[in-house]
Amino acid sequence: MAAEEVVPVRPTAVSILALSLVTAAASLTACGSGSGSSPDTVKISFKQSTDNSIKVMDTYLADIKKQFEKEYPGKKVELVPIKAPDSEYYTKLQQMLRSPRTAPDLVYEDTFLINSDITSGYLKPLDSYLAKWQDWGQFVDTAKAAAQGEDGKTYGVPDGTDTRGLWFDKRVFKKAGLPTDWQPKTWDDVLAAARTVKEKVPGVTPLNVYTGKPVGEGATMQGFEMLLYGTNDGTTDPLYDRTSKKWIAGSQGFKDALSFVETVYKDKLGPDVSDALDPNFGTAVRGELLPQGKLGIDLDGSWLPQDWLKGSGHEWPDWSKDLGLAYMPTQHGQAPGQVSMSGGWTWSIPSKAANPDLAFDFVKTMQTKANAQKWYIANSGIAVRKDVASDPSYTSAQPGIKFFTDLVASTHYRPAYPAYPKVSTAIQEAMESVTTGDASVDKAASTYDSTLKDVTGNQVVTQ
Amino acid sequence: MRQAVRQPGERSVGHPVIGRRLFRALPLTPALVLLLLFLGGPIVYCAWIAFTDLQLTGQAHSSFVGFANFRAAFHDDAFLNAVWLTLVFTVLSALVGQNTLGLALAALMRRASKPVRTLTGGIVITAWVLPEVVAGFLLYAFFRREGTLNAILDFLHLPSQNWLFTLPILAVSFANVWRGTAFSMLVYSAALDEIPNEIEESAEVDGAGGWRRMWHITLPMIRRSIGTNLMLNTLQTLSVFGLIWVMTRGGPGDRSQTLPLFMYEQAFQNSMIGYGTAVALLLLLVGSLFSVVYMRLLRTEV
Amino acid sequence: MPRNRHRSRRLAADLGLLVVAAAFVLPLAWVLLSAVDPHADLRVRIPDGFTFGNFDAVLTPDITYTPLLNSLILCGGATALTVGCAALAAYPLSRYRSRLNRPFLLSILFATSLPITAIMVPVYALFVRINLIDTMQGTILFFAASQLPFAIWLMKNFMDGVPKELEEAAWTDGANSAQSLVRIVLPLMGPGLAVVTVFAFVMMWGNFFVPFMLLLSPDQMPASVSINDFFGNRGTVAYGQLAAFSVIYSTPVILLYVLVARRLGGGFALGGAVKG
Repeated sequence: MAAEEVVPVRPTAVSILALSLVTAAASLTACGSGSGSSPDTVKISFKQSTDNSIKVMDTYLADIKKQFEKEYPGKKVELVPIKAPDSEYYTKLQQMLRSPRTAPDLVYEDTFLINSDITSGYLKPLDSYLAKWQDWGQFVDTAKAAAQGEDGKTYGVPDGTDTRGLWFDKRVFKKAGLPTDWQPKTWDDVLAAARTVKEKVPGVTPLNVYTGKPVGEGATMQGFEMLLYGTNDGTTDPLYDRTSKKWIAGSQGFKDALSFVETVYKDKLGPDVSDALDPNFGTAVRGELLPQGKLGIDLDGSWLPQDWLKGSGHEWPDWSKDLGLAYMPTQHGQAPGQVSMSGGWTWSIPSKAANPDLAFDFVKTMQTKANAQKWYIANSGIAVRKDVASDPSYTSAQPGIKFFTDLVASTHYRPAYPAYPKVSTAIQEAMESVTTGDASVDKAASTYDSTLKDVTGNQVVTQ
Repeated sequence: MRQAVRQPGERSVGHPVIGRRLFRALPLTPALVLLLLFLGGPIVYCAWIAFTDLQLTGQAHSSFVGFANFRAAFHDDAFLNAVWLTLVFTVLSALVGQNTLGLALAALMRRASKPVRTLTGGIVITAWVLPEVVAGFLLYAFFRREGTLNAILDFLHLPSQNWLFTLPILAVSFANVWRGTAFSMLVYSAALDEIPNEIEESAEVDGAGGWRRMWHITLPMIRRSIGTNLMLNTLQTLSVFGLIWVMTRGGPGDRSQTLPLFMYEQAFQNSMIGYGTAVALLLLLVGSLFSVVYMRLLRTEV
Repeated sequence: MPRNRHRSRRLAADLGLLVVAAAFVLPLAWVLLSAVDPHADLRVRIPDGFTFGNFDAVLTPDITYTPLLNSLILCGGATALTVGCAALAAYPLSRYRSRLNRPFLLSILFATSLPITAIMVPVYALFVRINLIDTMQGTILFFAASQLPFAIWLMKNFMDGVPKELEEAAWTDGANSAQSLVRIVLPLMGPGLAVVTVFAFVMMWGNFFVPFMLLLSPDQMPASVSINDFFGNRGTVAYGQLAAFSVIYSTPVILLYVLVARRLGGGFALGGAVKG
């Protein structure tokens, strides 16, 4: 009974109470004044790499901030980096967009999410700004469409696009006795090469296919859709039936793609499952596994070299000598023979932004031809501006740009409708359950089918 | 807290008129306002959102959907999995782990020498005082494939495991035992201290052995403490979030996804705030149930 | 004979405790050793060198100072609010008899054990509605409210232990209740007040979920959340730095605890206060 051991100690007790009330009052008033944003400050939120040594975007934005503040005297730019793995970044961002207090003036939005956020009323249509902005004419049509809502209005300015393919390590391939100008024709070719690596080069992960919810949209797009979109003839969307405007359930292609993922992890061709399901696995692939020659084949995006450029954290000048590039083949090698997916990010203005006009001015500074080009090169992006795309100093800036830019002609775009993010999560869940071996391919596919009905409001067609 | 029963008489000072009563209750106001606004408010709001289909993204307007969220939950394998894991987590770490270990420590401490008692008590309590996230990191390092536990197992030539992957629910349960045992230890130490020495001594004279004495004399005497402790451990464990979040994020797959993590994932990562809130309401109901039981155990106190 | 038995029993008890202590100390040893190890990894081992480099690396405004200051403002403010409100509320509950006391105390006790985690999703939604999201004051108010039930409960019990006769003397001298609370009762329950204060502070200092849900701007994050953002990315973590930061971040609460525990002869006061 503590209360029985009471000893009178006047000063302490009274001072604790007095102190507490003073502190409470002080801290409440102190932070009360901190909110409210100034009309001269434009707040910009972007995704900061979870790799503490990667500052590509930070550096670029700091440069634009300097230019902007010089160009618009009296105006200030406040950068609000959000440091989180992809899947958590979107959550944080949406949470911020919900309230005028937290909504930044400009946000970096992934295009797969944009329609979903438009439907929620989080974003502002930019048409009135775009109409008065000459440079908008320089953007290619597919890029303009990427940020278009179902209402036909445009909600974002894209800062590039991307394509996807197979990266392979020539050092590993040499040791495995595989050709260094490797180009698989079918999925089986890919698996066969991975099996050879597994057999001949111990200690190296043969093949990485992103999977599972922790990785997020990267698993859906770099992993699953790169497979799924190679299961048919490439003329229709295997995920969404655009004529009936319904999501597709029960397709054989879906199961085949899942089987591929299952094989990779069941036959131990992929990374250790516990690593693959780490939300930061992508960071590790780019920062450690590939540079250190510990990964044979990586099904991944065009943007990887940004981490290896001079001054960007994991300098790797020889990457283009050490790594080879191959197209992702279709399932059986059927026409068109190769698969790529394209996405990208846009700069958007939240509907609850305090200074939308200033935010668009910032976009304009960011998107002068010179600055846009600087960004495409810094982040290994694929240009969506015609003037940059045709500039030889861009096309020759990096090995690999030509390979990935050529893919744009035959690439696929996600059906990024409002329900897409939830469909994507369902795909990740299906992938994850076959990766861990918790469910068979059939079970995972049927779970997906029923989840699909729930998240799309039963807008489903069964094949 | 036996003094609590005795309410000080108030007859000597004035007549209890309404005004006086209100005046006397005045000091309660700040606490009352805070509690109503920030604890009562959210609970009411919780009960409202749980019946809507509010989403974080992809929705223009939310609407009232009745019991749809609850029906969905009971047909959702992932929800049932979370319920099961919460049960495993609670039974393993709170009821078995923290409670038994806490009692054992408290009992041993009565006999141990002072330096050992201080040392052990200090270590166990430090684990308890550490911030949740730090504890999560420490145990992440401990259970990780290249961590301490496997190093020890290798040294003993026992098979090592990737604990966070193969048996994540076991790993987080152990983590919770590590972090929470001190509380039980303190409760039981206080309870055991109240048992008069004569009773133990006379039992000893009668020749009752250690275990029998524990079973027939000590445990019955502290049974109320046991009940209280079990309840508080359970309630504590039901709301563990940070520890699991740091160690496994509920994964791999959903193998360590207890209800709080499931709730968070549904509400935010899957954007179904309404559904997540329905799960929260269920969790709240379970918590209330335990809370009521706990109060019954304490009922003579108030 | 009995003395012999007594000694062997003590030996057994010592041994038992030491085994548990050894198991419990391993994770703690890891953090202490890794913090000064220039090449720390995930297992406990004798450092192959000694360095303060890890501390140097994390002692920057971004990683350490700002988050710790935020933690201090949050937890300090909320603790102060909690203790103040609880002391005021406990007084009438402890001193006056009323038909409402029992139901009120029962609700308080009930609220004590509610899983706060469960209401965080609606609290988030509510804070968006009433525009308190991402504000320090909002988070402080919620923190205070969440600790209040337990604080009131403890405080009332401690207050019951202060004999009423002492106050009556003051009343005859013409002091009112407020004066007697501040001049007589609170000073007499100093240790109890300290327990409530430290307990509330420690609970909030370590809390992850509440600020994780209610604060969004990186520059307002307390240490519990920022540590996760900074080090939660296992791919490229410098474990030595993580350990060093953990040590810095944990030290204040451990010190506070030791301080109170020494005054009260072990942390057992709290155990006594919550048990039935």
